[in-house]
Amino acid sequence: MKKLTIDERLSKNRFETDDHNPHIVIDKDACKTCSHRACTYCCPAERYKWDTANDKLSFDHVGCLECGNCRLICERLNQGVPGYSWNYPIQGMGVIFREG
Amino acid sequence: MAEEKFQVIIIGAGVAGSAAAYRLAKAGREVVLIDRGDTPGRKNMTGGRLYTYALEELMPGEWSDAPLEREVTREIMMFMTREDSVSIDTTLSSQKQQSYTVLRARFDAWLASKAEEAGAMLIPGSTVDGLIIRDGKVAGIKTGDEELEADLVISAEGVNPIVAERAGLIKPVNVKDVAVGVKYVYKLPEQTINERFNTVSGKGTAMLCVGECNKGISGGAFLYTNKESISLGLVVDTHSWKESKLPLVDVAEELRQHPALGRYIEGGELVEYSAHLIPEGGYKSLPQLYSDGFLIAGDAAGMVVNRGFTVRGMDYAILSGIAAAETADQAIEAGTFTKSFLQNYETKLKKMVLKDLESFKDSHDYIAHTQHLFTTYPNLAVDMMNHLYKVDGNPAKKIPGIVKETIVGKLPYFSVLKDILKGGKSL
Ligand SMILES: Cc1cc2nc3c(=O)[nH]c(=O)nc-3n(C[C@H](O)[C@H](O)[C@H](O)COP(=O)(O)OP(=O)(O)OC[C@H]3O[C@@H](n4cnc5c(N)ncnc54)[C@H](O)[C@@H]3O)c2cc1C
Ligand code: SF4
Ligand code: SF4
Repeated sequence: MKKLTIDERLSKNRFETDDHNPHIVIDKDACKTCSHRACTYCCPAERYKWDTANDKLSFDHVGCLECGNCRLICERLNQGVPGYSWNYPIQGMGVIFREG
Repeated sequence: MAEEKFQVIIIGAGVAGSAAAYRLAKAGREVVLIDRGDTPGRKNMTGGRLYTYALEELMPGEWSDAPLEREVTREIMMFMTREDSVSIDTTLSSQKQQSYTVLRARFDAWLASKAEEAGAMLIPGSTVDGLIIRDGKVAGIKTGDEELEADLVISAEGVNPIVAERAGLIKPVNVKDVAVGVKYVYKLPEQTINERFNTVSGKGTAMLCVGECNKGISGGAFLYTNKESISLGLVVDTHSWKESKLPLVDVAEELRQHPALGRYIEGGELVEYSAHLIPEGGYKSLPQLYSDGFLIAGDAAGMVVNRGFTVRGMDYAILSGIAAAETADQAIEAGTFTKSFLQNYETKLKKMVLKDLESFKDSHDYIAHTQHLFTTYPNLAVDMMNHLYKVDGNPAKKIPGIVKETIVGKLPYFSVLKDILKGGKSL
């Protein structure tokens, strides 16, 4: 069976994208001091990537499946320290599951 | 500013919230049901199968038009290694209509529409972002610029109960008490599914697998047949996964590639890829279930039992929704919404949901800390069958010899004995 990249998988879903209001906020510079970077391997949508060229985290809220896993594995998101916050998208925005 | 005051506001039109709204509306109460999805169900995902006793409890004889997928009549438990697998295949024709497979986008929309028909007011496409708290009592909700007041608020907001957490009404969910699930839905013709699973329309299969698929981490894979699709997914303990440092996205993909699973979805069309958390802390992690003007139900309260071979959350969500509605109804009748009055909720839950949660209070610890379940035992099962079925021209061995050959040196006998004893008590 052909392997599917994460983008190929996510392209099967419907998203009502809110480009202007990311529901998850992180501080990419501050992330440099994170000891585990667990978001890069625990997010089922691979929204977090370590950009080795720039030695910086990259994050894209578009395509987020709204599971909440990063909220729990990232202490900063979990505690909502300055520069980090996790919320559900507002007013019907975000992923739309047509199967569930 | 608040304009109107309702008797009850329910946050979340998942199964718990809609069940509560349905009951309250039936009792003639003014109830508002708010969901962040533009239609209820559009944010939700499950394995899954729904045990129908809970639906019958909610609406006796009234659920014949529920959009259920297939009645589960065949149960498969599978142990897998990288390439091989061994299954225990069970058909239980004696159990009638015990459980059905479901897809939440359809099911939740239906259940919410039942609540609406009964008189509940549904507000979809609204994310609740806070509570109105007055003199220590929950007095309503906030969404965007709007405020809505009520005598009582029921949180049925699911596994990420950030509204209740941030209001300080419950302790925050602990990373050790959740698992993460990913799921693929593959569309296939009804007839093809019938043929692949050797069954007829309307009848379905539930399959749970452990071994290579979950990389030795507490969890497992699942497969459910729907009417015209197959749900295939993986559940793993969130905290152990974080420790493992394995890429979840790649491991989820390996699942599809495993010959024992991949063959079922072969030729199908991927129509959805979703993810969702499961509360797994059980009894020991239950939050405070009631406060002044406030009740919490379903996943938001962690009411899930995972025994490895079955995951039950939707039935408990419905039952806790019913209990919350009954408590709210009595509170309205009595005109009091104090914490001490609302304690009735816990009393009601103790008869059923909490009793089960208590019985299985050690199952999460057992499953999460019994490494052999996910590594050694699947390997052994496959090895043993490999030896049994092996014909290669070498002198054949009798079964006791095969058993010995399979397990010698691979099994620490004492820890196995301990696993069995503890498992018997916890599951
Ligand atoms: C992979 C997987 C497999 C599972 N398998 C099974 C199974 O086979 N059988 C079983 O019984 N259970 C299973 N479960 C568990 C089951 O799905 C849950 O226990 C059940 O869905 C809980 O229902 P709920 O109504 O409490 O929460 P949910 O169904 O999560 O509903 C919560 C609702 O609240 C809404 N919401 C959340 N926050 C807000 C907010 N701030 N404002 C407005 N609305 C909000 C959401 O949109 C959602 O509709 C499984 C779970 C997963 C993830
Ligand atoms: S886990 Fe949190 S702090 Fe660490 S890199 Fe990821 S987002 Fe940044
Ligand atoms: S909520 Fe889930 S899908 Fe979205 S970024 Fe976090 S871990 Fe990834």
